[in-house]
Amino acid sequence: MTNSTLRKPISSSSSASNAVQLENVVKSFGTTKALNGLTLTLEKGEIHALLGPNGAGKTTAIAIMTGLRKADLGSVSILGGDPGNNSIRLRIGLTPQESGFPDNLRVSEILRLVRSHFPAPMSNKDLFKRFSLESIYDKQAGSLSGGQQRALAVALSFAGNPDLVFLDEPTTGLDLETRQKIWEAILNYRQSGGTVVLTTHYLEEAEFLATKVVVVHQGKDLINGTLDHIRELVGISRVSFSGNLSESIEGANHVEFKNGRVIIMTYNSDQVVRSLVQRGVSFQGLQIRPANLEEAFIKLIGESDQK
Amino acid sequence: MILLEHFRASLIRLIRTPSYSLVTILVPSAIFVILGVTFIENRQEANFALGSFSVFATLGIAFFQFGVGIAEDRESPWEQYARVLPVPPITRLLTTILASLVFVTVSIGILIVVGFLTTDIGMSVTSWFRMFLSVIVGTLPLAAMGLTIGYWCTPKGALPTANLLYIILAFLGGIFFQPSLMPDLLNTISLFTPVRHIVNLTQAGILGAPWSIQPFLVLLGYTIVFILLATAGYRRDEGRKYS
Repeated sequence: MTNSTLRKPISSSSSASNAVQLENVVKSFGTTKALNGLTLTLEKGEIHALLGPNGAGKTTAIAIMTGLRKADLGSVSILGGDPGNNSIRLRIGLTPQESGFPDNLRVSEILRLVRSHFPAPMSNKDLFKRFSLESIYDKQAGSLSGGQQRALAVALSFAGNPDLVFLDEPTTGLDLETRQKIWEAILNYRQSGGTVVLTTHYLEEAEFLATKVVVVHQGKDLINGTLDHIRELVGISRVSFSGNLSESIEGANHVEFKNGRVIIMTYNSDQVVRSLVQRGVSFQGLQIRPANLEEAFIKLIGESDQK
Repeated sequence: MILLEHFRASLIRLIRTPSYSLVTILVPSAIFVILGVTFIENRQEANFALGSFSVFATLGIAFFQFGVGIAEDRESPWEQYARVLPVPPITRLLTTILASLVFVTVSIGILIVVGFLTTDIGMSVTSWFRMFLSVIVGTLPLAAMGLTIGYWCTPKGALPTANLLYIILAFLGGIFFQPSLMPDLLNTISLFTPVRHIVNLTQAGILGAPWSIQPFLVLLGYTIVFILLATAGYRRDEGRKYS
């Protein structure tokens, strides 16, 4: 902690102008290091997507940033203060990765309880409209579907009219319509000056929402950039088939063998297929599809490990 | 006011779980009636039983509502969310305490009515006052034990643990039968339980006998030890991984 603060003193003005400032944050649970020197600066007024494979430390990072857990080492500044303080908590909202509510409280009662913590909460009417809660207002939380629970969990993070909202996989398990409604609400929130930090497994979600992207791997930040990086990730395709491969294939960026199938990651699937045919590789059950986020990460992470 | 809103929500949750709340509230009265009709022969025995079963009511609520309730909520996603809300943890603990007090009051209230209907209860105003004071003093170590269960047991392990301790303590503490009827060995063991000392205080109060300082010191000791244990459990929980 002293090291980093000596090297780069955080003046109150610079930390206050950022929504999140983490410096060399370390957090261990027993013998596992969940965060291993994470340094992040997230500006205000942006929608930041925190991406990375499972177990990369995204959820732990959110726990540190919301004051749920304390960092073992390093410095944490959220809206210029300590997220453990009530004055900061009044200005942040959270949607945890798992949604869960007291089964026998009605949605209206949960909203009332949460809103009572904030001096100028969002009106019930506004919340219903933005997050499609009208139809479930009188239902007990235990009778909500998974998607409805998720919508409520996201709505609650905005209920206090916060300056900064943390969304841990906000739309996992949601139908398309509700997802788009929530995306719209998040974009509106940003337009009115809010800052969002979100994690997601959906590439299209990051693409649609994020104005800034951070890729986290093994508890460190790997890439800190913009949408272009995501667009580059999207360009990767996955070509797979049953058979063997001993020849080198043009255009293949990464080759692996799994369950009797050959899996090739490439930026140019046409070239790969052409090359397979030209070299007379015998293949069966050829499949080509865009790489998902996880697969794209494997490639990215592979590159960073080689450096 | 935030405290009142949390209190309101806790009460609604409890009232809407009648399988829990009715059982917790009515069990002391039910056992009182069964044992009372069978064994209670005179006014003093009825008064003693009323005191003991009032302690039994606080024991149950401290262990189940308080202890098991905390253990079950602890790892729930809702609890994680609530921890980020701008409210000090002490406010939420106070809410749980208040809700438990409401249940204790209702449970003992019903017990008194049932006692008057089925037995020949009757004592002086001072005796009533001293009996209630004993029960109130007794809630402190019992609540501290409940907290310890709450912060050390897993959500699944809390209920069986609380059940086991509840039965053992009620039995050894002399709630189901007069401590004076205990064989020597059992009596010696009994004196190691906080429940026995609370029962002794109620009986001295009912009889109008002077209180000695010793049971108060024992109960204070239990309260301190279990608050320390509960605090250690809370800290351990804070540092653990959650997904």
